Amino acid sequence: MEALFALVTAENALLIAKNLALILCITLPLLGAVAYLTLAERKVIGWMQLRVGPNRVGPYGLLQPIADAVKLIFKETIIPADASKVVFMIAPAMVMVPALIAWAVIPFGEGMVLADINLGVLYLLATSSLGVYGVLMSGWASNSKYPFLGAVRSAAQMVSYEVSMGLTLLSIILMSGSMNLSDIVMAQKGMWYMIPAFPMFVVFIISILAETNRAPFDLPEGEAELVAGFHAEYGSMPFALFFLGEYANMILMSAMTAVLFMGGWLPPVDMAPFTWVPGIVWFAAKIAFVLFIFLWVRATLPRYRYDQLMRLGWKVFLPFTLIWLVLTASAMHLLGKV
Amino acid sequence: MLAFADLVFYMFAAMLLGSAMGVIFAKNPMHCVLLLILTFFNAAGLFILLGAEFIGLLLVMVYVGAIAVMFLFVLMTIDIDFAVLKEGFASYLPSGLIVGAVLMAELVIAGQAGLFSGARISTLTAMPAPDGVENIRALGQVLFTHYLFPFQVAALILLVAMIGAIVLTHRRREGVRRQNVMAQIARTREDSLSIVKVKPGQGI
Amino acid sequence: MLSTVGLTHYLVVAAVLFTLGVLGIFINRKNIILVLMCIEMMLLAVNINMVSFSAFLHDLAGQVFTFFILTVAAAEVAIGLAIVTVFFRNRGSIEVDDTNMMKG
Repeated sequence: MEALFALVTAENALLIAKNLALILCITLPLLGAVAYLTLAERKVIGWMQLRVGPNRVGPYGLLQPIADAVKLIFKETIIPADASKVVFMIAPAMVMVPALIAWAVIPFGEGMVLADINLGVLYLLATSSLGVYGVLMSGWASNSKYPFLGAVRSAAQMVSYEVSMGLTLLSIILMSGSMNLSDIVMAQKGMWYMIPAFPMFVVFIISILAETNRAPFDLPEGEAELVAGFHAEYGSMPFALFFLGEYANMILMSAMTAVLFMGGWLPPVDMAPFTWVPGIVWFAAKIAFVLFIFLWVRATLPRYRYDQLMRLGWKVFLPFTLIWLVLTASAMHLLGKV
Repeated sequence: MLAFADLVFYMFAAMLLGSAMGVIFAKNPMHCVLLLILTFFNAAGLFILLGAEFIGLLLVMVYVGAIAVMFLFVLMTIDIDFAVLKEGFASYLPSGLIVGAVLMAELVIAGQAGLFSGARISTLTAMPAPDGVENIRALGQVLFTHYLFPFQVAALILLVAMIGAIVLTHRRREGVRRQNVMAQIARTREDSLSIVKVKPGQGI
Repeated sequence: MLSTVGLTHYLVVAAVLFTLGVLGIFINRKNIILVLMCIEMMLLAVNINMVSFSAFLHDLAGQVFTFFILTVAAAEVAIGLAIVTVFFRNRGSIEVDDTNMMKG
């Protein structure tokens, strides 16, 4: 016990306080972004469908996310009678937490990263594979058939598309020769990887749509057949956590795309007017662009059928990414880079 | 004196063993799998603490991301009253405890006898880790040179396992209409459309 | 501050985990899936041993072997669960005591 107390020194306290402050610096703006992404989604899709979107709460509807949050907080939390209570309540957190912890390795600028680890890409893959559990746990714990079906679908879908996502990342790792995300960004100084590896960029964008259960791959939710999928039995704050988790995941995947394919914080051209803008602004702009693709796709495409989704993942993307991996490796060898 | 890393070690070790106890004693098999995931997670923490970052993250990806999902899937899709399987739990407990105690005693005696002490094994180094090289680079340099053949064999094992699992569980169900994508794409205007002149009042 | 956690600490954790795996197989011996899970736990204990030896002896061989054990464990679970699924389809049960019919 005394040994434990000896750990409480000014030095350690300062270290912990500094790290906590850094973590808050990342998560608080992130949660704000998540809240306003919900508004942006409704506005953008509204404009695409010639509607105005929410415009009642505050000027231009800008206070709408706050109104939504207040409404959800004041609702009663309902737990179904036959639900497995502990698992039921842990599940929403299991969706939210992986989406937040992954931000530890995302570089916002040169040296602006919480944990500059060598295996950043692997860490991202590992955390994104954790997202399945929140969905599976909620579907099972609800003890109800629609959530159950939604959960099984979602798990199969996320596991399948993780394969093509991982193989896409492998070709990026081959090109940059590093798994450190800052190194990958710096390796794109001459040319963004989305130009030489454009097919992989497309595969990656489609895979992250499936990973985050977004349209046109939102079968786990499929309101027309499964009511609301895995979170049909949830209400109030647990439901809000699912919602926040989904949007936080979207922003995370967009940040991943920006870092791996679009040069992270680097300006598009290394010339005077572009380099005046700070790197973090470029990074935010790239994230916003990928998020816009998410919304654009949702407003444009109809939902896939489940067997079509599986066929695309296993019979099209898997062979294609494998062939591309071999091609990349051969090209790197011929260019003498390896 | 307790270093901060020690505190982390004790935390991971306690959670690891606690959740492992949960796996074998929990009533609901679903809870068993969830606790098993926690066990793997804490083991990954221990690996990273030991400086084996690649193996630690690989453990999370392979076990947590794939193997545990398979367990969950099979448990969720098999329709069985698991309470029946838990019967006789008390009658197996004594024999289990005896075997466990004997095994533990053997391991303790082996440890006490100095079989694992540094002086005895430090001469057995097979693949010395190079200094100043990051973990994954060092591992890759060893894996793709010295262990290339076992590596290929491991890949072959995975391939065989994949084919085996598919062959075992796949069944072609009758009466399911499948989509033939190629046929749909190859469809032309000529074989799906014909213009017929219909005279008024006669029908076709 | 120097770390006081040495090789022995890790070996003790691994030994306890391995014993728990063996105990789990004994007390859950009716349920095939739980038996498979306990085997995974025992393999994990072996992995902890391998990695801790590798770290404390500055020897990469331990980590390479962990890598191979992971591969084999993944293959084993895939095949094992496939067999469980087929067995359940044929017999409607996953009890170990029911595995007494051949050519089933």
